[in-house]
Amino acid sequence: MNYIWAGMLLIGIIFSIINNRPDVFTEALMQSCTDAIYFMIGLSGIIAVWCGLMNIAKDSGLIDKIALKAMPAMKFLFPHEKDKDTIAMMLMSFTANVFGAGNSATVFSLKAMERLDKENGGSTDASDAMCMFMAVSMSMIQLVPITIIKIRNDLGSQNPGSIIIPAIVAGLISMAVSIAVCKYYEALERRRKKCR
Amino acid sequence: MSMILGNLSIFFIPCLITIILVSGLRAKTPMYDCFVVGAKDGLHTAVEMLPFIIAIFIGIESLTASGAMDFFKSTLGPVFALIKVPEELISLILLRPISGSGSLVLAEQIMEESGTDGLVGRAASVMTGSCETVFYVLAIYFGVTSVKKMRHAFSAGIIGYIVGVAASIAICHVI
Repeated sequence: MNYIWAGMLLIGIIFSIINNRPDVFTEALMQSCTDAIYFMIGLSGIIAVWCGLMNIAKDSGLIDKIALKAMPAMKFLFPHEKDKDTIAMMLMSFTANVFGAGNSATVFSLKAMERLDKENGGSTDASDAMCMFMAVSMSMIQLVPITIIKIRNDLGSQNPGSIIIPAIVAGLISMAVSIAVCKYYEALERRRKKCR
Repeated sequence: MSMILGNLSIFFIPCLITIILVSGLRAKTPMYDCFVVGAKDGLHTAVEMLPFIIAIFIGIESLTASGAMDFFKSTLGPVFALIKVPEELISLILLRPISGSGSLVLAEQIMEESGTDGLVGRAASVMTGSCETVFYVLAIYFGVTSVKKMRHAFSAGIIGYIVGVAASIAICHVI
């Protein structure tokens, strides 16, 4: 992350000089800081609401119930995960993603990552569960990509919704591959440990 | 079909809130207090996340505003042409992993120019509908943890993304 981030900035600076527009570059960079703050202000309200609601769900025992039901599927993805709240958070993140509630999904994911980090004991290496959770969230399908359908509709498409099924199929393929990659690395690691 | 799915998405959040409140009522949870405590915790998370969000925002802006993206686009153009990726889609393929809102604007431009129902327009729609903002997600998710080494999360995300893009274009070729 260290080098990627520094690299992004340095590449940007070099190109802005080559393209002879460091002034535009600087302005855009400063604008993006403001954008980040605005983005976060918008998101923090949603974060607060969902954390509040999830706290109710936790205290009323709803989370335990849902986590129990989802156990079989989650067991396959996260064989070592025991904490019910973490499982519930991950599950909520997936569901919110599927239903296109992107911002809410981000909130649940970040909460889940925080919990996974604690379980990982603050290690600097990502845990298997973290990698799998990331892989699934990064390739999660969206039932109805509302924004893109709206754009198509506005531009006068004959059939704006015709992309829904292809998008779901493509998403599922990409999800299956991501999960397979994770499982492959996990197996590889296990074999390496055995050899030692 | 798309109507039903659309309604499902619209009713998702109200339904979810109702379920949570009903379960709270049945368990006689002190709901208001619970909500406030949780919300406070949530705001705490929000403040902790802010530095990471700023970092990733300026990193992405640096690549797009400097024209570096345009350079990558023109360099990689011939490579993509070899594997039958329409030229119009290249910038979208490169932008999608780092910026969600940016790629939506770009998809709109592409469809304005190439039409919505041709191969390019449909492939652009399917891609934005099915592929995630991989780099952005990696940066923000790991931002809230103490992780320095992402291990296979990175390759899983990238491979998944490439396969997703390939699948989107392939499906649009077939249909």
